[in-house]
Amino acid sequence: MPKPQFDVLIIGSGHSGGMAANILTQKGLSCLMLDAGPEVDLAKNRVTKQPWDLPFRGMNKPGRLPHVVQANEFNANQWVDEKEVPYTHDPAKPYNWVRVRFLGGRSLFWGRQSFRMSDWEFKAADIDGGGDNWPISHADLDPFYARTEAILRVSGRKEGKPHFPDGNFLDADYGPDSTTVKKITDIANARGYLVSKIRAANGRNGLASSTNLLLPDAVATGKLQIVPNAIVREITVDKNTGRANGANFVDRHSREELHVKAKVVVLAAGSLESTRLLLNSGLANSSGMLGRYVMDQLYGVQVVASVPEARGGNAPEGMMGGTALLPRFKNLKKGEKNSFIKGYGMLIASGGGPTPGYFKEYGEELQKKLDLHAGACMTASIYGERVPRYENRVTINKAVTDAWGIPVLHVDVKDTQNEYNMAKDAADTAEDMLKSAGWDILSKTDKFHPPGYSIHEVGSCRMGDNPKTSVLNKWNQSHDMKNLFVVDGGCFVTCGWQNSTLTIMALAMRASEYLADQMKSGAI
Amino acid sequence: MRTLAAAPAVPAALVPTALVPAAVISEQAAQAQTPAARPAGAPVANGKRDAVGEPVARFFTQSQLSALRRLSELFMPPMNGNPGALEAHVPEFLDFYVGQSPAEHQHLYRSGLDLLNTRATKQFGKPFASLDAKQADAIIKPMMELVPWEFELPKDPAARFIAAANNEIRTATRNSQEWYAATVAAGRRPVGAQQYFFPVDPIYKG
Ligand SMILES: Cc1cc2nc3c(=O)[nH]c(=O)nc-3n(C[C@H](O)[C@H](O)[C@H](O)COP(=O)(O)OP(=O)(O)OC[C@H]3O[C@@H](n4cnc5c(N)ncnc54)[C@H](O)[C@@H]3O)c2cc1C
Repeated sequence: MPKPQFDVLIIGSGHSGGMAANILTQKGLSCLMLDAGPEVDLAKNRVTKQPWDLPFRGMNKPGRLPHVVQANEFNANQWVDEKEVPYTHDPAKPYNWVRVRFLGGRSLFWGRQSFRMSDWEFKAADIDGGGDNWPISHADLDPFYARTEAILRVSGRKEGKPHFPDGNFLDADYGPDSTTVKKITDIANARGYLVSKIRAANGRNGLASSTNLLLPDAVATGKLQIVPNAIVREITVDKNTGRANGANFVDRHSREELHVKAKVVVLAAGSLESTRLLLNSGLANSSGMLGRYVMDQLYGVQVVASVPEARGGNAPEGMMGGTALLPRFKNLKKGEKNSFIKGYGMLIASGGGPTPGYFKEYGEELQKKLDLHAGACMTASIYGERVPRYENRVTINKAVTDAWGIPVLHVDVKDTQNEYNMAKDAADTAEDMLKSAGWDILSKTDKFHPPGYSIHEVGSCRMGDNPKTSVLNKWNQSHDMKNLFVVDGGCFVTCGWQNSTLTIMALAMRASEYLADQMKSGAI
Repeated sequence: MRTLAAAPAVPAALVPTALVPAAVISEQAAQAQTPAARPAGAPVANGKRDAVGEPVARFFTQSQLSALRRLSELFMPPMNGNPGALEAHVPEFLDFYVGQSPAEHQHLYRSGLDLLNTRATKQFGKPFASLDAKQADAIIKPMMELVPWEFELPKDPAARFIAAANNEIRTATRNSQEWYAATVAAGRRPVGAQQYFFPVDPIYKG
């Protein structure tokens, strides 16, 4: 029996692939979705356990996932096995690549914080000369943001500030702030810093994934076939037309090799994986930019203060609890002088406790201190924007292959003085604000995690108007090959301080509508 | 319930059927019908590793283990009605845990425990395990450094060992079944349970 030729092959089923499938099928196109991972039934695959019921008392099998700091013994099976799909890096340049391979990808587990990026990020080069401008602005993305927010059911507090654009929010009642949050808000406001609330996707039943919000409608059109356990090895090209015509994939279990045919190929394998696929296929790189400008956010900087009146469990009701979110508040004005360019957001959470290392005590003395400060702490942490750098790149390491014989990525990404200066400024600023509230600093660090840790890796396949300096055009379409699109975070030009998913999805929606229109008009 | 117990001390399986009186065979067949009522292949294991077995230490040397016992007792004594590290079998657990760890972590513990013993012998003429609380304090305190960021332990090997051991002894105690049982017995709500994610048809043993 002859196998079908699909209108569109979508590789990857996470937030980005799910959005592509959702839009393209609604536009009447026949789609095939391949995902490297198996399908999971979250209700069946998860059960509540006590730590002592696990082989390592919940302390993780040592050395199992050396790059996934987020991994513990409870969730260890969620992450890509680093032996099954390895990647390499110079030991002096650690990179924490945090991956999920299931139907739905990381959308099954994400933290759901959902902020729009602003023209301070889209047009960053105009402000600070760091990196390049995107070929689009917030206004271009605004309608797609709004529709994505409706799908995700994002709640947030409107602020009317262009550097923290408001969205299409569900009504949310944040209730009155605790007195500690109110105090730090006043202090920040007095310095001219906006203080807001976390904006988050509510989804449905606590899940805002591709598998419950995007794929069911796509399947219902009758236009989508989803094949799990299908690991795409390379994109295939028609020798006569020079256009992509499908892909070769390997069955995860049997290792049978198969080929599928499609008129258009949409990559949504999660930024670096899409780039790996393009590099392994030898495509879309006439610019030499493929793999370059890998970015993510700088996480880890932390300052913890203890509120004297709240110690010993003596906080009166309404004193502790809640959070204050400070959207990026530095370098908003052109010409503002700081030791770094770009900016960071800050989250100040009320009601935490210290960790043992804050005290040079042990045993009962330590326990007394921990108990004294339990619930009495204010913890400031940051979302820092890293600078896009040409040198920060991924390449293929031909010497190492994954469990299916596919060459792996070599990651070569490092931080520069701008990141160190930003971290120091953030720690100093947090300390200063917490101190001026009259609280005692228990710990302060300007250290931060290696790149990749934020799980918002973007870039490596960036968009731009100039085919010589970018891989994709402003519609997420390859400059080199009109029927090849990349709709995940690979297209980012700057990473922003904001968690990336909302922007990834809005861009994927916009690109998919463009693609459908182009196919309808016969341009593709 | 009558079985073949009255038969000579020969394992039942070795008794040729012909030697067994017919009456007994039919009784066996009748009994076999009770288990047959269960679905074929239904699981029968009902015991728990920790409920039946005492952990056996095999990784550390005797003197390292003795030092670890003393350190565990000092870092996590019984407090507020909770069991301490010794009641929670933490030294034996850490013997297993560190024994499974990457070489770097093994070395950290072995050299750290040896260092406790060397300093104890030098300062007090006896191994760390035999020190009283004040003597032990005179060894431990100078080794400690503050750890402002939990993701980066001190570089100095002694301070790094103390920080790691303190964290792991504390966590292993609080995550123990003994701790859980004491919490429940005291009518408090146990903490630490989480959603465990099963492996999804893994294809590759790493
Ligand atoms: C714990 C956690 C918390 C997070 N919190 C937030 C947050 O609060 N806010 C936020 O904005 N973001 C957050 N993120 C990040 C967010 O999950 C991702 O940005 C987003 O889900 C990326 O979607 P994606 O479709 O681009 O990629 P993915 O979700 O990674 O999907 C890619 C899919 O492609 C498949 N694939 C890969 N290679 C191949 C191949 N060769 N062939 C076939 N298929 C392939 C994979 O199996 C995977 O299913 C978080 C992530 C995690 C893990």
